Amino acid sequence: MFKTIKEVLRTGNATVKYPFAPLERPQDVRGKPEHNHVKCMVCSACAVACPPNAIQTPLDMREGTKTWSINYGRCVFCGRCEEVCPSKAIRLGTEFELAVMTKEDMEELCVYHLQACTQCGSHFAPAKQVAYVARILAQGKDTNTAAQKLEYAKVCPKCKQKYDVQRLMEQSKEEGEWLC
Amino acid sequence: MNDKELRSGETHVLSAKERFPEAVRGVSWSADNQVVIESTPKQAPELVEHLYYERDGWFSVLVGNDERPLNGRYALYYVLSMEGADPCFCTVRVEVPADSCEFYSASSRVPAVIWGEREVQDMFGLKALGITDRRNLVLPDDWPEGLYPLRKDTMDYRHRPEPTTDVENYEFLYETAGHDTTVMPMGPLHITSDEPGHFRLFVEGEDIIDADYRMFYVHRGMEKCAESRMNYDTVPFLAERICGICGFAHSVAYVETIEKAQQIEVPLRAQYIRSIILETERLHSHLLNLGLVCHFSGFDTGFHHMFRVREKSMDLAEMLTGARKTYGLNLIGGVRRDILAEQKLATLKCLDELRTDVKHLVDELLSTPHFLKRTEGIGILDKGVARDYSPVGPTIRGSGFARDARWLHPYDGYKFIERSPITQESCDVKGRTLVRIDEFMDSLSIIGELLENTPGGPILNESWSHEPHRFAVALTEAPRGEDLHWSMIGDNQKCYRWRAKASTYSNWPPLRYMFRGNTISDAAMIVGSIDPCYSCAERVAVIDVKSKKQQVLSRQQLESYCRNRKHSPLEKSTVII
Ligand code: SF4
Ligand code: SF4
Repeated sequence: MFKTIKEVLRTGNATVKYPFAPLERPQDVRGKPEHNHVKCMVCSACAVACPPNAIQTPLDMREGTKTWSINYGRCVFCGRCEEVCPSKAIRLGTEFELAVMTKEDMEELCVYHLQACTQCGSHFAPAKQVAYVARILAQGKDTNTAAQKLEYAKVCPKCKQKYDVQRLMEQSKEEGEWLC
Repeated sequence: MNDKELRSGETHVLSAKERFPEAVRGVSWSADNQVVIESTPKQAPELVEHLYYERDGWFSVLVGNDERPLNGRYALYYVLSMEGADPCFCTVRVEVPADSCEFYSASSRVPAVIWGEREVQDMFGLKALGITDRRNLVLPDDWPEGLYPLRKDTMDYRHRPEPTTDVENYEFLYETAGHDTTVMPMGPLHITSDEPGHFRLFVEGEDIIDADYRMFYVHRGMEKCAESRMNYDTVPFLAERICGICGFAHSVAYVETIEKAQQIEVPLRAQYIRSIILETERLHSHLLNLGLVCHFSGFDTGFHHMFRVREKSMDLAEMLTGARKTYGLNLIGGVRRDILAEQKLATLKCLDELRTDVKHLVDELLSTPHFLKRTEGIGILDKGVARDYSPVGPTIRGSGFARDARWLHPYDGYKFIERSPITQESCDVKGRTLVRIDEFMDSLSIIGELLENTPGGPILNESWSHEPHRFAVALTEAPRGEDLHWSMIGDNQKCYRWRAKASTYSNWPPLRYMFRGNTISDAAMIVGSIDPCYSCAERVAVIDVKSKKQQVLSRQQLESYCRNRKHSPLEKSTVII
């Protein structure tokens, strides 16, 4: 009994003020995944890595959109998405109070446009990814200007294939060789 | 043959071959210390018995596998942990024909296999010839006949069949040897923790003559889910959710099955980090159980203090891993988060605080006369029973057996430190509690030692490839005993088969014997002492077998009786009798 009383006195008050005062948490705690829609280019790497499929990126070819969506009700706060994202567009913050009144509010989404091919008009990749590729190409040292490269990037793989074959044939005609 | 040339586990193979020359059809190694003996179906039970009783084997798990798409048959893997000379894992593999589905049960020779065999009967529809207990284990009473969940061709993992009956037809068994007993059911629903169970105590007056129980009310079908929906590299996150307490132990065990089977090298630093976190997990788990022991022996102040201190170990885990629970740290090939210098310092400081705090509390607990009275000589786990059923963790270490996977089959950081298992000889609730107390203190020093010696270097190995259909076992010593996993990757980025055995699975079968000879007021104490994710009885119905009269007791009544041992809730019902 004496020991118990001593222990109680030694400990003092253990209660914290939360929820009336914010709860202190370590900085690198894994809370709510925060998505930066500007940096994101809907590459879907996070959707592939996400163990419970909380992140999904459905395509709508007719509308020409790709939607990045997250369901916080499914998320297990593992942080795989943060780890695999190539453009650092997702980061697990420290927020953990995620209760909402309706289930639908658990979901957040962000719709991105797909690039329409300048030749055939079909949608083939998210516009942001195309711009990203063009930016990378622009850093290469060759004779084409950045604008030309962007134009080239906006062509879908099928048309590119056709275009390449045509060019090769023209070239080989000029050089007098048959390639087939 | 020269001794030096013997591979790990080969002495067991030689001995088996000598005793049963016809039984051994083939021998292979699935990993360094894991030998697989292919046996003829008929002699498999004898072989398992030989390895178990004559070669110091302990039964770990029985894995059933539907290998019809691979070789046209089912296969059973009896995994034994060899703990005498030549420690290793010995797996006895038996093939079961797909048409008859029959195999010979080993349950009459080795009681420990009974749950495993009952489970493969339920899950794969195999028939164990000569099994000692024919009842369902996992499937509910209202499950359709002939629907075997883990067969590859039966059902989608999302399928929820319509219940076929409203009647509970599970038969509870008892051996009461002529005693006139009253049945006291505890459970099955409204359970405070995550393992609902239905207990039936067969009592005479206050004394428990026998007990039976039933688990698996909330079977989550995780193995099926992992095999059909998840990719093999996302399963660690699912494995972590098997248990809310020892989740990390499960995820380590799972990733190590793959690492062992595929011979993936794990960086040293990652191995140390895994052990450090495993021990951190033990800290909070043991404090939880010590808190509950206080609670059930009527010492609620102690309970609150244990939980107050436990919060520190949770904060420690949060700082090291980024989450209080489900640390999400493991990937195949290593870990995802390093321990930084300032985190190391903070950890060492926290360990000191924990050491002082818990020392005070333990002194307090052990000097509480009530505690000793309630735990000494209660819930005896007899050594013979223990040997027959292969329980694990503090439950068996409290009965004098030095079974601790960390030191018997060292893995990860444990390979680099010297310790020996902590045991107690008293076989009772007190023994098990003392083991936990000592292990808690030991964990503190292990974490300190590992932190000091952690080598530098990478923490994740990402350059590896995998070959389908290789399998291996891996185990970790979770706070409650060994968590053992077995996995085989398929050729489609999925687990072909994943079997996870949680520690308490091995501790349930012998519990019946621990109940016998105690009083009802000790029941909660005894269940608590194996430290299951404690399932508490919300309602207790007392049924007089003869008059079929029933009295329903509330949880509070039962719990308060367990704590005060006054005003027996049964007194009224004895009046009815
Ligand atoms: S990985 Fe990053 S960039 Fe790619 S879709 Fe996800 S958030 Fe966007
Ligand atoms: S934290 Fe994990 S579960 Fe949540 S969205 Fe990211 S990958 Fe998915």
